[in-house]
Amino acid sequence: MDHTVAAPVRPPDATGGRSRAKFGKYLPGYLFLLPAIVLFVLFLWVPIVKGVVFSFYHVDFVKGDTFVGFDNYRTVFRDAEIGVSIRNTLYYMGLCLVIGFWVPILFAVAISEIKRFQGFVRIAAYLPNVIPVVVLYGLWRWIYDPVGPINAVLTKLGLDQILFMTDSKWSMASLVIMETWQQFGSGMLIYLAAVLSIPKDWYEAAEIDGAGVWARIRHITLPSIRNLIGLMLILQLIATSQGYQSQLAMLDGGPMNATLTYGLKIVKYAFTKLEYGVASAMGVLMFLVLGLLAVVQFRMNNRGDKQP
Amino acid sequence: MKAAERGILSSYDSKRASTRAVIGVMSLVVAAMVLSMLYPIAVTFFNSLKSVPEVNSFPPKLLPRAWEWSNYREAWHYMKLPLFLKNTLLIFAGNLVVTVFALGGAAFALSKLSLPRRKLIFFFFLTTLFIPPSTYIVPNFVNLKDLGLMNSFFAFWLPAGASAFNLLLLKSFFDDINNEIFEASRIDGASDWYGFTRIALPLAVPIVSTLAIFLFSSAWNDWFWPSLVMHGDPHYPLSTAIYKKVIQATGLKLNVKFAILSMVALPPIVVFLIFQRFILRGLHLGGVKG
Repeated sequence: MDHTVAAPVRPPDATGGRSRAKFGKYLPGYLFLLPAIVLFVLFLWVPIVKGVVFSFYHVDFVKGDTFVGFDNYRTVFRDAEIGVSIRNTLYYMGLCLVIGFWVPILFAVAISEIKRFQGFVRIAAYLPNVIPVVVLYGLWRWIYDPVGPINAVLTKLGLDQILFMTDSKWSMASLVIMETWQQFGSGMLIYLAAVLSIPKDWYEAAEIDGAGVWARIRHITLPSIRNLIGLMLILQLIATSQGYQSQLAMLDGGPMNATLTYGLKIVKYAFTKLEYGVASAMGVLMFLVLGLLAVVQFRMNNRGDKQP
Repeated sequence: MKAAERGILSSYDSKRASTRAVIGVMSLVVAAMVLSMLYPIAVTFFNSLKSVPEVNSFPPKLLPRAWEWSNYREAWHYMKLPLFLKNTLLIFAGNLVVTVFALGGAAFALSKLSLPRRKLIFFFFLTTLFIPPSTYIVPNFVNLKDLGLMNSFFAFWLPAGASAFNLLLLKSFFDDINNEIFEASRIDGASDWYGFTRIALPLAVPIVSTLAIFLFSSAWNDWFWPSLVMHGDPHYPLSTAIYKKVIQATGLKLNVKFAILSMVALPPIVVFLIFQRFILRGLHLGGVKG
């Protein structure tokens, strides 16, 4: 406390003293910041910079790192599986949009109109979010099993079995359905909050002007949550472009590389081939692409804040 | 009918036959959604109580014929669940402490203390949000190795303090607290540390509980990263241990497998059901602020 009292007493020409007083004034602030700054440098900035550096090195824990120039990047571009993995990643992102993106919006609008049991429906929809993903993996392997419940229903209806996991036409879609099942609840709750916050008299006014139910949804509900939809879209694209965990856990990239995503390819280069340099190069390439998306998202997010 | 009670539909709409048909269809769709959410969870539990031939029979039935509670005894002896649970809780507790003090302190300083170059510092923290984590997952791993943190809980605790998203949540919460409280305490001779620990943190209980939910679910969920950083049973958290010993296991009986999965899924479900009102509100707080 004494520094604030001491500062005005100093003669104005004693610049050294004034900066010391200033330093004293700001010292507590910097002390509070110090731990976070150290942790951010050590565990975010250093790895990020090291990633760029490693991409030009052959990383060897025993013999030490050697500079290899653009060799790692050359390896990446020569690897035939890279093309496959990029295509799989785009396919995965697309499937997540087609299968998963609209589901929470639809249910948010529908659930906002439910008068009874709304609380129960919300809880039920959110419940899969609470289940640990490893439980999910074990559970859905059984559900997708050739002798699991879905195929039991299909056989009863006289339809052909679907080999959800081993048929390369189905494997990626199966993973997307599983992830949609788990994650749609949290998205739905976010949309629901937005839908419920739309002023009710807008609907009243539209109805008096003769707007039907669909017109009200199309011209009031959806435009009101447009910014949120845009934000969620970009967040989902950023998240799915990095997806690899369920592909790794459920199928290890198979069958026949059908679920080998770019993220999974990075993990495989690093932790099965132990080519940390090549994996870092892949990370840098991905950063260049995703960084662009992130900037777009930031722009949109800011716009969304200004016009609620 | 009062305007406040209506939604998209008015009471007039719900009298029309065509709208009522659509409402009926939507209700059925929502009911189907609820069922498809609950069915897999129920299946996990009921399968854990079936006998071996029954759980492998085709077509599968939902309810077990005889309730084999002994599966749970077998599951309990299959792996040291309490040990892995302890590791998960250790990771969670450490992460929470580091988040509250390192990020809470930084958020407090950015929000309430006089700092020159505040913009620059904020920029230093926030730009990390735009760098997707999987682009530096490999150097991150090598970095932990270089720091000698492999196989140590500090490999989780310390990086927990490097989350720009959580920092942002805390800062925007502190921004909403009135400055006058802190000024008054300063005039009374209180230090900034006092202001942080005795005024700011107690007021921040809602946001800290939201963060606790996030941190708990990530500690409970994360299996891949710990499987790289930790070596061997004594350090594995629950999810990693389940992945290694249950999901990847080949010889494990299916009903015992489901018994283990049920035991792991049940605690978070129970916690969620008890605190659901609170948790859903907390998630909303996080969603709106973030």
